[in-house]
Amino acid sequence: MSVSYSEILKLNKELGGKLSSSTYQVTVLSNCTVSLVKEILEYSLRLEGINALVTTGDYDNIIQDTLKYKDSNLIIIFWELCNIMDGLHHKIELFNEEQIGELFEKVKSEIDLALENLSHSSLVLMNKFTALPFYNSNLHINNLERLAVQLNDYLKNKKWENVIVVDVDKVVASLGREKSIDMRYYYSSKALYTVDFFKDYAEHVKPLIMAVSGKSRKALIFDCDNTLWKGILGEDGFENIEMSAMTKDGSIFSEVQNIAKALYKRGILIGLCTKNNEKDVEEVIKSHPDMQLRDEHISVKRVNWFDKSRNLIEIAQELNIGLDSIVFVDDSSFEVGFIQKLLPDVKVLQVPERLSDYPKMLRENTGLFLDMSLTDEDKNKTEIYKVQKKRENAKGEFSSIEDYLVSLKLKMTIFEDDETLIPRISQMSQKTNQFNLTTKRYSEMDIRGFIQDDATKVYAFALLDKFGDSGVTGVGVIHFDSKNRTGNIDTFLMSCRIIGRNVEYVFMDYLINAMMENKVEKVNAIYIKTLKNGLTRDFYEQCSFTLKEATDSRKNYVLDISQYRSRQINYIEVVNGKKNNKDFVKCA
Amino acid sequence: MEKKIIKILSNVLEVPQTDLGEHSSQVNVANWDSLNHMKLVVALEEEFGVKFKDEDILELQSFKLIKFILSKYLK
Repeated sequence: MSVSYSEILKLNKELGGKLSSSTYQVTVLSNCTVSLVKEILEYSLRLEGINALVTTGDYDNIIQDTLKYKDSNLIIIFWELCNIMDGLHHKIELFNEEQIGELFEKVKSEIDLALENLSHSSLVLMNKFTALPFYNSNLHINNLERLAVQLNDYLKNKKWENVIVVDVDKVVASLGREKSIDMRYYYSSKALYTVDFFKDYAEHVKPLIMAVSGKSRKALIFDCDNTLWKGILGEDGFENIEMSAMTKDGSIFSEVQNIAKALYKRGILIGLCTKNNEKDVEEVIKSHPDMQLRDEHISVKRVNWFDKSRNLIEIAQELNIGLDSIVFVDDSSFEVGFIQKLLPDVKVLQVPERLSDYPKMLRENTGLFLDMSLTDEDKNKTEIYKVQKKRENAKGEFSSIEDYLVSLKLKMTIFEDDETLIPRISQMSQKTNQFNLTTKRYSEMDIRGFIQDDATKVYAFALLDKFGDSGVTGVGVIHFDSKNRTGNIDTFLMSCRIIGRNVEYVFMDYLINAMMENKVEKVNAIYIKTLKNGLTRDFYEQCSFTLKEATDSRKNYVLDISQYRSRQINYIEVVNGKKNNKDFVKCA
Repeated sequence: MEKKIIKILSNVLEVPQTDLGEHSSQVNVANWDSLNHMKLVVALEEEFGVKFKDEDILELQSFKLIKFILSKYLK
């Protein structure tokens, strides 16, 4: 986080006013002064849409506070070894073994007590005990370090289900001791850590908090040229792109691919989204000797010249995950900016200008994929297996297509005799080839004529799902023969864009229902064979119509409307669009 | 420098910049208590890239003193 503390104070206040989601209560318990953590941690989480409210417990009051704050969403414990008794960091060096043993027992029982009090809390982050602020820069291991090791072993071996031990030494290591610790405030007010430390600490624990808030990412999608390899495949050619571990730049891309492969092993979905010729990329994946990522690692590919936002939306759809589960890596500032603007939910990473920073940048972001289940060693294997299985399902067919369809949150809006739709309906009748039962082509005049005709009704529907609105994509035309209480289905068609969602059955339900309301008792329908509509050959059978007569080019059906068996698709919501006020045709 | 000090005071003490000026001090700004004092000191250090000596930290009690002490470090 490069924002200064003073700016954080200001921005955090502003962000707090904007977030409307329910607050995420974080309490920091400590035996030292940690007041600087409040706004820094709040800001870091608020940036991710988590409406965090951080409270700091009373100074050196951890055990009592565990009772007071146990209902927080998250409890963080800063249990500073140097202050478990006043001046311990120097006094301990004068202790004998027995005294150190007693101290260990005392702290151990305090830990037990505190964590017992918190045993029903949803999540506790307990910092590892650290002696780093006070270690000697030589080979001699001091008593403080020894005690830290003992206590950490205790934490490690005694497993509390809801406790995750945070290795603060890693934060200090990446920042450096000088920058992490400020003794001036330790002596004046028992505050050990600097603003810089807390900034890094917030980033360090954020992935955990994201994961428990259901905000961890699930898929890592790469551009190809200058992202997975050096060079531009379409221009430089198969022979000249570089990702060999044996060359300077190549080794960087080789490492990047291995980082992706390691993520794949953890159950993260890997994909490609690149403007390239599909054949060229396939060839590289299949047979380039230096390629680390092969087909078996890659769950999804969009190799084409369409814009990348569209491809990423499709990728999310294909993997059955939200856009907010995707991390996308690209070298081009244009693409990075484009996706950030169009799909702000996608986390976009740009290949750094200094190429040597690229693997480090990726590694630092692997926290985005943190899966809580993977931090627990005991569960590790089964969890990996589960994730793997989920992945297999996502890759090919879903374990149940229905589950997938349910997740799409489909909504069908039906319009009856809507004159504003005449151009679109006519256009669809002329262009739709695959899902079209009769393939009758109608001009706008024809459609207008139907709408104005009392004995004919024109139905159209638009389909909406969680990815967006497909617009008007289906049409049905019915001629009513009121004398014979008969409905004749003249046209039934659907855009191929929406095939595979079982929408046709719901539309049929609607038409049958509309006919029943018009006192229709018998329905006639025809399938007229063309070169392209084989897909719909048995559609009427599937809708429980009875085949009356069949020739090579045509099948005639009839349905006793009281015998209609609906497919009972219950995951598509049907709503009525704007209705035309034309008098409703009634069968006598 | 003065503008920057005012901005930091405003962010830390949660007082509009317009309510702050060269006479602002612990005496007349309500939020300028001991807890916020520490926040203020670390914010000043970060923004100006300095590290105050212990005795100076205690002295940073008003706009004028901040300006005076900072100028020693920024020479």
